[in-house]
Amino acid sequence: MITQFFGIKTIGACILQLALVISLAPLLQGLIKTLKARFQRRIGPPIWQPYTDLAKYWNKLPVASDQASWIFILTPFVVFGAMLFLAVLVPVLGISPLAGWDDLIVMLGVMALARVMSVLAGLDTSSAFGGMGSSREMLVSVLVEPGLLVTLTASAIRAGSTSLSAMSYSALRSQGTFLPASLLTGLAYVFILLAETGRLPVDNPDTHLELTMIHEGMLLEYSGRPLALMHWANWIKQFLLIALFINLFLPWGTTLNTDAFAWVSNSLALTGKFIFAAIGVSVIEMLEPKMRLFLLPRLLMTALLVAVLGMIIPNLFR
Amino acid sequence: MMNNLNIRKNNEYESQVRQFLKDLPITLPCIRSVVFIDANHIQVEVIPSDILQFYNTVKPRFLFILLTMVALDRRREYANWQVRTIWCISETPIFLEVVTNIDQSNTVPELPSITPLFPAANWYEREMYDFFGIVPVGHPDPRRLAMHYHWPNTNFPLRQDENRSTFPPYISNDEYFQNRTTGSGVMEIPVGPIHAGIIEPAHFRFSAVGETIVNLEATFFYTHKGIEKQLEGLSIEQARYIIERTCAACTVANTLAYCQALEQIAGTSLSSRATFLRVIFAELERLYNHIGDTGNLCAGVGFHVGIQEGAALKEILLDLQERLTGSRYLFGVLRLGGVGVDLSPSDLSLLHKTLAEVRKRYQRLIKTMLLNTSVVDRFTGAGIIFQRTARELGAVGVAARACGVDRDVRRDIPYAAYTQFNPIAIPLRISGDVLARLEIRIEEVAESFRLIDAAIQHLPDGAIQVPLGSLPAASSGFSLTESARGAVCHWFLIGPNQTIKRARLRTASYVNWPLVPRAALNNIVPDFPLINKSFELCYSCLDR
Repeated sequence: MITQFFGIKTIGACILQLALVISLAPLLQGLIKTLKARFQRRIGPPIWQPYTDLAKYWNKLPVASDQASWIFILTPFVVFGAMLFLAVLVPVLGISPLAGWDDLIVMLGVMALARVMSVLAGLDTSSAFGGMGSSREMLVSVLVEPGLLVTLTASAIRAGSTSLSAMSYSALRSQGTFLPASLLTGLAYVFILLAETGRLPVDNPDTHLELTMIHEGMLLEYSGRPLALMHWANWIKQFLLIALFINLFLPWGTTLNTDAFAWVSNSLALTGKFIFAAIGVSVIEMLEPKMRLFLLPRLLMTALLVAVLGMIIPNLFR
Repeated sequence: MMNNLNIRKNNEYESQVRQFLKDLPITLPCIRSVVFIDANHIQVEVIPSDILQFYNTVKPRFLFILLTMVALDRRREYANWQVRTIWCISETPIFLEVVTNIDQSNTVPELPSITPLFPAANWYEREMYDFFGIVPVGHPDPRRLAMHYHWPNTNFPLRQDENRSTFPPYISNDEYFQNRTTGSGVMEIPVGPIHAGIIEPAHFRFSAVGETIVNLEATFFYTHKGIEKQLEGLSIEQARYIIERTCAACTVANTLAYCQALEQIAGTSLSSRATFLRVIFAELERLYNHIGDTGNLCAGVGFHVGIQEGAALKEILLDLQERLTGSRYLFGVLRLGGVGVDLSPSDLSLLHKTLAEVRKRYQRLIKTMLLNTSVVDRFTGAGIIFQRTARELGAVGVAARACGVDRDVRRDIPYAAYTQFNPIAIPLRISGDVLARLEIRIEEVAESFRLIDAAIQHLPDGAIQVPLGSLPAASSGFSLTESARGAVCHWFLIGPNQTIKRARLRTASYVNWPLVPRAALNNIVPDFPLINKSFELCYSCLDR
């Protein structure tokens, strides 16, 4: 199962997964946006709007503030690069192509790198909105990161390994077995997912109310291709976090067989689960208003505690 | 805290006020002359140097509510400047007009500032300097208001010798931001004047410690249209078109104040059908504004169901208005001496049917909003205005009633056919936060539905317009109406041959905008859009 060496197969699998993730991430974003619009009885943008957005940004010249230093220039590449790395690392189709290397701490570390760079870039241009966005991002991430760590650790304890593929494998193998612990950690993960992807009730992805922005605030000074990279990186992150959610907490319908029928059924099941997740996200975003900023720690603290419960419960009844 | 007073309040004061006004010349020797324009309108003349003495004497006696302050450049005719300050006394329908003449021999016309006594006069006096160059001496905050510091202080647009097409040079000047909040940890956040949404320009400069707002400086008047200058010399019919378009969202309220002021000067008595139709149009305007604002409040907290439903309901109403009157925003429905659009029985049944549907959907929207605890949590305790602040700044409308200031022109100084629908329920809250302002709107919407239904039911037959009659030159008058945002008070001076010589348009937003920075204090920066939306004031009403 665990490949020790990079064979030709591994490299092929890496390229396949990378291509899959970076090409489908905008589609997932488009799907969520369209679903949200439909739930609000709007027609909304077409589902491929994010691709056309990327194409639009790609053809525009970037403008950088004269206050900006090299951090501002470098950040989009670091953030996008980090997400490309995660796109290979995180198990999307059950098992990661880099199984064995995909430690959850590595994932969190790479995500933290991307976040720190975004925050610095937000501060770098010395615009008031960038600074506000950065300071709020730090406020949120102080609680989101431990939340994600605890949630994943709960799965890791069950799997007996901190490898994401091992965790995913263990969830797939035990499918059908209902565990209150995985329900709790799954719930905590949903909160974390919403916070990480900048969605309601934490951040409003549609907002252009300048004063309430978190994620958008940090991106405000970007334009052209760097902006395309930042958006794309964010969509990839969202895609990967949802993929991880599906693998760890919604294992049903995915088999570990490798015959042709299993490939078809697995792809169908995965697609279905992504659509389900997209519907879930849009329904939550529709029903929940944005929380008061200083109540967010309470929400995220709840998520953290739920995750801790999920970690403790299986050990209580061992 | 519902308050269903059907009778006009403070009737007990009325006799005292009348007695006080009768005794004025005896008690106050500084008054030069007293003119009783009618039973409820008294004009006194005070010389500039006695102004403060006058107000100091009368202020403790009664509650003085500033309605408007008008400056006039009368150098050609009378060799002086005139400032007229119109007060409503103790919430009775009795008006005191204080007239001050400043001799033109002074190179710089000066007038003692009354802002230290009546903070509500702040903007009026600053604007008086910007437009006429009359200096309010002793004003605590004499920065420029309408004409920003980029405008040279040698050009005063509303002076008679100032040409309408003059375009003075741009002066590079940053003086407006002199009074900065400084200290360790204070961060300045400049927002606007160009905003990220489709709204009009205003510059908000937050000084925040962490996320808490410790000071907010707001600059408006970026797109000042110069309507008051434009109106000078226009015929009264042409002037109506311009006043209608001062602000689309307050068309009926603004135009109605104009029509009523002129009808009052001419002594026109309207057909009762016209007055009922005026009530219908005025209430329709309130309805679509309040319902749209309910949706906008949801936008302030990112509650998508409410945003969309609010927008949909507003659209239904705008569409209805277009079907009934030919104009989505009710342009052209009011005429001098009546209304310009009659409603046929089929129109009335369409109106009734559509409103019934909107009412049902609106109630469902309200239920959805108020049952969502996260939404209510955002609304509760945000942007509190204390009653004292509201009274000092002379707040009007929803913002005033949300903190216990029980004033509504429709009940207190009834106009059109509002006397026919007593008791008009005027909702009142005391908490003064965003939730209180929302609840006031919700109850006012219910009352508007009732008023329109009642007006449809009792709509009398008759002509919809009567001839206005002639307006004597040099006569002046003003009128109050209640717009969706609060009391509107427009003042007009008639020139020769049925023209407007000078107009002073005072809208509800003009009075209430200074409340917004006060409401924002000690709140957190990300709550400001919500607080701002809960007042829902027009920029266009300022940029008149």
